[in-house]
Amino acid sequence: MPSSFLFYIMKELNLFTLSLKNLKRKGFRTGILIFSIALTVSILVFGLSFILSVNSSIKRASDRLGADLIVVPVGARDYAEEVLLETKVKSFYMDKGIVDRVKKIEGIETVTYQTYLSTIQGACCDIPEAMVIVFNQDTDFIVKPWLKKAISRKLEKGEVIVGHESLLNIGLGLMDIDANIFGIRFKIIGALEKTGTGLDNALFMSDENIEDILKKGTSNLKPMDISVIFTKVRKGYDPYQVGRNIEGEIIEVDVVSRSDIGKDIIHTLKDIKQIFSMAIVLALLLSAFLSWAIFSAIANERSREVGIMRAIGAKESHIITLFFTEVFIIGTIGSLAGIGVGIYLFIFLSKGFSIIKNISTNITLTGEIAIALVAFIVGTIICILGAISPIYRLKKIEPLIAIKEG
Amino acid sequence: MPQIEIVTLTKAYMIGKDTIKALDSISLKINKGEFLSIVGHSGSGKTTFLSIIGGILMPTSGKVVFDGTDIYSLNQEKLSEYRSKKVGFIFQFASLLPVLTAKENLLLPSVFSQKNMGNNEKKVSEYLDMVGLGDKLDAYPSQLSGGQQRRVAIARAFINDPEVILADEPTGDLDEETETEIMGLFKKMHEEKGATFLLVTHSSDLARHARRHLRMHNGKLLEI
Repeated sequence: MPSSFLFYIMKELNLFTLSLKNLKRKGFRTGILIFSIALTVSILVFGLSFILSVNSSIKRASDRLGADLIVVPVGARDYAEEVLLETKVKSFYMDKGIVDRVKKIEGIETVTYQTYLSTIQGACCDIPEAMVIVFNQDTDFIVKPWLKKAISRKLEKGEVIVGHESLLNIGLGLMDIDANIFGIRFKIIGALEKTGTGLDNALFMSDENIEDILKKGTSNLKPMDISVIFTKVRKGYDPYQVGRNIEGEIIEVDVVSRSDIGKDIIHTLKDIKQIFSMAIVLALLLSAFLSWAIFSAIANERSREVGIMRAIGAKESHIITLFFTEVFIIGTIGSLAGIGVGIYLFIFLSKGFSIIKNISTNITLTGEIAIALVAFIVGTIICILGAISPIYRLKKIEPLIAIKEG
Repeated sequence: MPQIEIVTLTKAYMIGKDTIKALDSISLKINKGEFLSIVGHSGSGKTTFLSIIGGILMPTSGKVVFDGTDIYSLNQEKLSEYRSKKVGFIFQFASLLPVLTAKENLLLPSVFSQKNMGNNEKKVSEYLDMVGLGDKLDAYPSQLSGGQQRRVAIARAFINDPEVILADEPTGDLDEETETEIMGLFKKMHEEKGATFLLVTHSSDLARHARRHLRMHNGKLLEI
């Protein structure tokens, strides 16, 4: 029986129970070391989670997009990124005729476009403020893969589907709900699977509805307005070169290549990463120093006890095991507490960073486990590293000298 | 063959640039079951001598041969086994671990010798009974008087059935009554267990309890 075995282990005198008793003896000092390790590990967990989640969110966004180039109106490059990566509601427009001009550029394989609208609760709509993405179902290759998974058919006129994180989805549990959007009754027919991008907060409808929306005059949209053109580049063509060609031929547009999405955020993230790295390194050094200082004090205080234990038959390996068990217990408790605090901080405080306020900061379970594991190992190792020298010094002293030093 | 044979044992300490000889070419043969006392002034080298026999201090030169084996030719592992299984140490100071109860202090040598702890529980009670502390099993050293602590340490020295008991000023700071009690206990243990006894003391009165008497003076050992 595992529980009775544990009870036996805890009840019997052995090196583990002796370690626990030793740690309890100076509870405050043990607590300080545990706190220090916990602090270090929590910074590590927070920093790693923060950096990994933003990195992966940006990567997911560009991977999921499926387009090599994004063509936006001149000056709207940042707006486009904010829509794709963040949950910001933006609307910016260019003439639909640009789609045909882009198609003619050498190296372009496929083209589709989207129009972005924003809802205003009370004014035009009875839903909370949201981004509405109107797309062309015939040419679309951006929304189609998710749509296929969600409803396995095309969207009909008068139907909308919401993003995974949409307030409508969260708030209402959705499905077959009617909503007034731009003065028209729309049926919300489902939710898209999570993409981990800003699009998770949007509503999607087909461009068959545009005419009705224009008729109602409840949006700032004008006929022939579109927001973004997504393109795929033919094999063998350099997307950057094709992008430059588009910008050269069509002066009304800016082009963002897939690999440049989130470049500014990644750049800022690099600075944050450096700050985190420095904080982590300093915290690790401080913890290692504290561990060294505390175990040096412990080694001095318990020198006589070690001498006595050696005199009554303890081997060097027993002394090493005894002290490293203490170190391991401190490292384990500190690391586990640090992992808990770090995760809590990440979940509740990371949104306080304006750079990622609107970015999806979800980490996969595997990612979370990996971070926790790394943090646990680092926390425990740092505690061990600090304690190695005092423990080995103690182990090497002749028993009688240890007794006299104590 | 003697149980312990000490051959030209020397221990020198460096104090600054000076070399001080704590033990100076001591040779001695001790037979199994003997009760020896070693007297001498403070600093005469008694504790150093006892510690070297007990395997807790390396000599500068010479040999300590126990049952035909020079203990300082053994590796650390084997030397620890020698201390654990052959020798019982009684120190001149309080030597109990403060975080352990009387019972646990007695069980501690078994943790290191990996003897069956289950059987030792009974033995612990018997030994604490023998030193008159059967009702103090769960008392911590801080809850015991100096004399009681000393008696627990004596019981601990016997718990692994050692062949040799090394007692270094075992009644050093105790009152006369406790001193008599402890010496009575030693005699009883010696008679019942048949272990070899080396008693180091500066008190000639205490030394009289032994059958063979030695005097340590300036690192030299003289038979009285």
